[in-house]
Formats: sequence, C-alpha cells, structure tokens
Amino acid sequence: MVDVGTAVMTVEMIQASQVGLKAVGAGLAVGLTGVGTGLAEMGIGAAAVGATAENRDMFGLALIFTVIPETIVIFGLVVALLLLF
Amino acid sequence: MLSPRQMSRLLIAGTKEQMGAVIAELYRHRLFHIEDFVGQEEYSGFRLGMPLEGATEASNDLITIRAATNAFGIQGDGTPRGRPISAAELRRQIQTELPGLDAQADELVTRRTRLETRAKDLETRIAEIEPFAALGIDLDLYRGYESIAVLAGHIPADVAIAAPHEKVFSSGKRGGFIAVFTPVTERDAVERQLLDAGFVAARIPDETGSPADAIARYRAELESIGKEIEGINRQLANLKEIHASFLLAADELLTAEVEQAEAPLRFAVTDLAFVAEGWVPTSEVPTVREALERVTNGRIHIEELEVDYDHEVVPVEYNNPSFAHPTELFMDVYSRPNYREIDPTLLVSIVFPIFFGIILGDVGYGLVLLALSFLARRFFGSEGWTLLLDNLRNASVSSIIFGLVYSEFFGFALPWRPLVFSRHLNIGGEAHGHGPDAASMLIIAIWIGILHITLGRVISIVNHSRMSHGSHRTKAIIAQTGWLAFMWGLLIVIWSIFPIPFMPDLTKLGGVVALGLGPAGIAGIVLILYGVIAIAQENALEVVELPTIVSHVLSYARLVAVGLSSVAIAMVVNYIALGMFINPSLENLTPVGIVLIVVGIVVLLFGHVLNTALGILGGGLHSIRLHYVEFFTKFYKGGGLKYHPFGMKRLYTTEE
Repeated sequence: MVDVGTAVMTVEMIQASQVGLKAVGAGLAVGLTGVGTGLAEMGIGAAAVGATAENRDMFGLALIFTVIPETIVIFGLVVALLLLF
Repeated sequence: MLSPRQMSRLLIAGTKEQMGAVIAELYRHRLFHIEDFVGQEEYSGFRLGMPLEGATEASNDLITIRAATNAFGIQGDGTPRGRPISAAELRRQIQTELPGLDAQADELVTRRTRLETRAKDLETRIAEIEPFAALGIDLDLYRGYESIAVLAGHIPADVAIAAPHEKVFSSGKRGGFIAVFTPVTERDAVERQLLDAGFVAARIPDETGSPADAIARYRAELESIGKEIEGINRQLANLKEIHASFLLAADELLTAEVEQAEAPLRFAVTDLAFVAEGWVPTSEVPTVREALERVTNGRIHIEELEVDYDHEVVPVEYNNPSFAHPTELFMDVYSRPNYREIDPTLLVSIVFPIFFGIILGDVGYGLVLLALSFLARRFFGSEGWTLLLDNLRNASVSSIIFGLVYSEFFGFALPWRPLVFSRHLNIGGEAHGHGPDAASMLIIAIWIGILHITLGRVISIVNHSRMSHGSHRTKAIIAQTGWLAFMWGLLIVIWSIFPIPFMPDLTKLGGVVALGLGPAGIAGIVLILYGVIAIAQENALEVVELPTIVSHVLSYARLVAVGLSSVAIAMVVNYIALGMFINPSLENLTPVGIVLIVVGIVVLLFGHVLNTALGILGGGLHSIRLHYVEFFTKFYKGGGLKYHPFGMKRLYTTEE
C-alpha cells in the first residue's frame, strides 16, 4: 500500500526552509521597525515642518528631532544583518 | 584650541566731542562687541545717547538707494564687482547721481506698471469679444433695441426654445455660445428655458463693428505694449549694468554711516561725557587701546574690567585651526558653545568625516561628492553654503580613503581584496568570497560608540570642574564617574559571561565566586552598584535614564548598518542593470537588445544618482546625529552668545 498522506522531508529541504525563514525574519525586522520609525517620525516631522515655516533658524534642530526615531529602524537593520550573516 | 577665544571686558569713557571719532575707529577695527546700555544700577545719572548728526539724512538716502536697488532687481551676492571705490568719491557720486538715477528708475517702473495694467485690460476685452466672433454678427447689432431683448452667453449645447425668437449658435471645444433675440415680452420665458439648459450669461461688449476686427485691433495694441515693456526692461537692465556696483557700494557706505550714527543709542551718556562697555578678544586689546588713544590724542579712559562669569554673558568667538573652521557651522546649528566649556568643534571636525567615510566608504561616490562640493560653489556663494560644501569636501575625501580600504567603486570591487573588513554582499549569485563581515564590523562600531561616549563623559567631568561651584561641583563630577562606572561595569559583566570576538574574554578568569559569576563579573557588579549610587546622589530621577546607556552605545551600530544598506542598493542596481539588461543583450545583439541596453543604462544612472543622494543623507545625517544626540548630550551645554563685533566687512568701498 502506498502512503499517500506523508511527504518525506530530506535534511536539505529542512535546511533550505530554515534559510528561507531567516530571510523572512530579517524582512520582518526591517519592515516592522520601519513602520515604527515612520509612525514616530510622522508627528515629529509635521511639527518640525511647522516650526521651520515659522522660523527658518529652526531647520537644523528640526532635522535632528526628526531623525531621532531613526534609531528604531537601525536596530531592525542590525538584527536583520545578524540574522542573515 | 578646545576653548573659545579669550575675551576681555573693556570700558571706554571720553568726552562727547570725541564720541564720533571713537565710534569711527571702533567701527573700522571691527573688534568691539558692544554691550547695550540698559540703565544698569551702577550708571545712575546716565541716559541713552542720541544718534550722531547726519543719521536722518543717511537713513533717507539709504531708503532711496534700496528702492532703486529693488527697481533694478540688483542682488548683492557678497562678491565684489571690480575695484572697491573710495568713500569720498562715492559720497560725491551719491550727491550728484543718486537723485537723477532714482527719478529715472521711478519713472520707468511707473510707466511699466501703467502699461502692464493696460495690457491686462486689453486681454480681458479680447476674452470678452472672442466668443462673439464665432457668431459673425457685428457688435453694434446686439444693442440699442426698444422692443427686442438680447440674451448672449455660454451654453453646453444648442437648445430649442418654445417662444418667438431668433437665435445664433456656435459650438466650440468647451461648449457652445448662443445669442438669442426675442421680444421684450417673452424675455422671462426665454431666459428660464435657457437657464434650464445650463445657460451662463456673458456681458455684451461695449464695441462697434465686426468682432474679428476689434480683436485684431486689440491684439495689435497688445503687441506694441509688449514691445514697449520689453524696451523698458532693457533700459532697466542697462541701468542695472551701469549702476549696480555704484548702488551696492552706496548701500554699503550708507549702511556703515547709519550704523555708526546710531551707535550712541547703545552707549550711556551724560551732558558732556559718554561711556561704552563691550568685549574685545584679549589678544586685540592693545590694538584697540592704541588706536583709540591715537585718534583722541590720549584723552580717553580705557579700562579692563573684572569679569564675573556667573552673571555676565561673554560673547563667544571660535578659536580653531583652519581645517576645523567649516565644522563651526554644525556647532552653530546645534548651539554655540558656552564661553567656559570645552569647545568640541575640533573633535567633531576630526570624527565627523571618519564616521561619514565608515558609512559611505566608496571611491566612486566619494569622487562624485568631491566634484559636487566644488561645482556647487558656483551656484551657492553664501558663507553658510561655502562652509557646508567644505564639510562635504572633507567628508568625501574620507569616503574615498575608506573606499580604498573597503575596495569599493560604485558597488563594484576594486582589483584588490578589502584590506580589513569586507562589505561585499552576495547579490546575483556572483559570490565574492564569504559575504560581508557584518558581525565583526558591528562589534567594531560598538567599540567606537563605547570610546566616543567615554570621551564625552570625560569632557563632562572637565566642564563641571571648570564651571560648577561648591558641593554641586563635587556631586556632578561623582555622578559623571557613576555613568562611566555603570557603562564599563555592564560591559565587564557581559564579557565575563559571553566570549565576544574583538572584545576582552573574561569568562575564563578565575572560578565561580558568587551568583554564578567569576571575579571579573563581581567587579562589574560592584562598578554598576557604585554607578547607580553615584548617579542617584546628584539626582535620583536620573536613574530612569540608565537604559539610554545601552541604547546610545548600540546606536553606533548604524555606522555599519546604514553603510551596508547603501552597499546593497549599489550592488542591486549594478546587478539589475548589468546582469539582467546589458550583459545578456550584448552577447546577442538584436534591435530589442539595444533597447534593453538603453533601459539598463537608465536604471544604472538613476539607481546611482538615487544612492548618491541617499549616501549624502545617510552618511551626513547619521554621522552628525551621532554627535548631536549620543555625544553632545553627555557634556555639551551650549547657549553661548555669538561674538558680533561692531563694524562691517567692506566689499565695495574702501576706508576714507
């Protein structure tokens, strides 16, 4: 009798799917932290543009404020790099 | 070097007759930062000075000149045009030429405005008549009836009207135009029907004869007006060409005069004497003293005052070697240093380009940015832009050096292996070795962070020992050692648990002492505890900031992460353009293949332009951010007052 319901997995297949899952994890790490950074910069960026419109001298400081949440996505990028390499 | 220029506080007192000469001399030397007189207590009996003679005339002339400058559209871009003119000669020219020039400019501008109004008027008329032209009825036939009403206007489509009437319709691209002639008695009924069909009434123009003729007449007039305006603009341009340098020079001279004439408003005076207080760089005090004594024949009192640093705001002038000069721009964007704290400009000017190079280490991009930093100077001549481009130049040189180390050229490998760490990714199956040394580089980046932050804390200790007083000084210094102890304690604990490459391995040191930790781990715990206590004794709330130690150190990982993402973009662009479009087409050249090659070249150019822009943003913003957020927050107070000496940099005129 042929066992129809059971597929056979070789070691190579398992390894390949592990590599794939790693890539998925790396993608999630960058993607989700990117969303987080975007949400954080949304409010800051709007306020920063407003402040710059009021006073041109604010530009430098406004830019700094806007890039502060960048750290989150950098952490995501670091995690992704560690996963991949 | 690491501190601003030393300043001395000068008090200058003299009789009122000498005030004019003293002001002119101070203005000429451009060294004296005036401290405004605001009725301080020790000056009882003094009052604010009055402007010198001639202030009003100079102001009036200045307004005339600025009006003419505006009319001609002259913009001083800060570069001298030709030979600077002497003040005496210029003053004569202002007397003789300015009134005529001003009248001329005024007349031309008024005439131009009048012509422009007339041209607008004509354009409206043409627009009004144009729809009637299509109906082909003379314009006087629309008016002057007693028993007939005329309705004319735009309508989407021709319409059947159930009333006695006569109509003409013409259809155009944007709906039709209709004119309906109907007995006055039927007017309301006809109008209602038309409105139901989407009729919008138009004004019947107040003209005679054929509409086409009227339009042609007005067009001709418009054309001649256009020519006339062109002629006026040419005249203005000619005048601008001739008089631009005169006007700019006159503006400069009169601005200087007005500024000098109004200086007494910042001095304290009595009926017979005046007193001015201000700041001069200590090294320049003898110059100022000698100059003032010379113009007053020694009949002036100049005194160097004691400086009370806690209550007086000392103006701050940078004192850096010339290569660090461009970095002052970044400092001013954040905040000018306080007079007594360490000025980190020099450190930033060294570390910033290095960070930029670590992130964007690519010979190709470095060369592009280097060229850009020189080309852009032609278009952006202002002082701020020049400093920014100087920074870009320094950063791109560093980028080229790191590119040689990383062996990268627009994402391609140079003919040698990377000297230290490889950032080459395996993209498109063309494996270069074993892929990037991401983990090793991240650890090096963390090391950079640890050292940079330690440096920041050490500077903070120096600053506190210079600037704070009494018990607060001791507390603040202990707190700073606490932050250092906590960070290094944490590191030692981690090292004693996990062996990490490129970092000291303390796991095998001694046996287990307590809590499952070896002697090194226990030492680390002790440091951490000391740190917490040292921080809390200054301000217990600061303890909640402890996690920032970890996040700030890890934040330096961006040096590698952002750089690798930039390399990845470059390599992906190369793979798409060359690997997928250009190379396969070159093997077997067909007409479609040529199109594909063009597409490949476009992708290549577009991708690398984008990546260059991202490289400036990534390399520049992240490097400066590491300074502002991670480095400066450890020690930098800022808020210094900019040293603004009384005087002006003359570009168009010479001294008398």
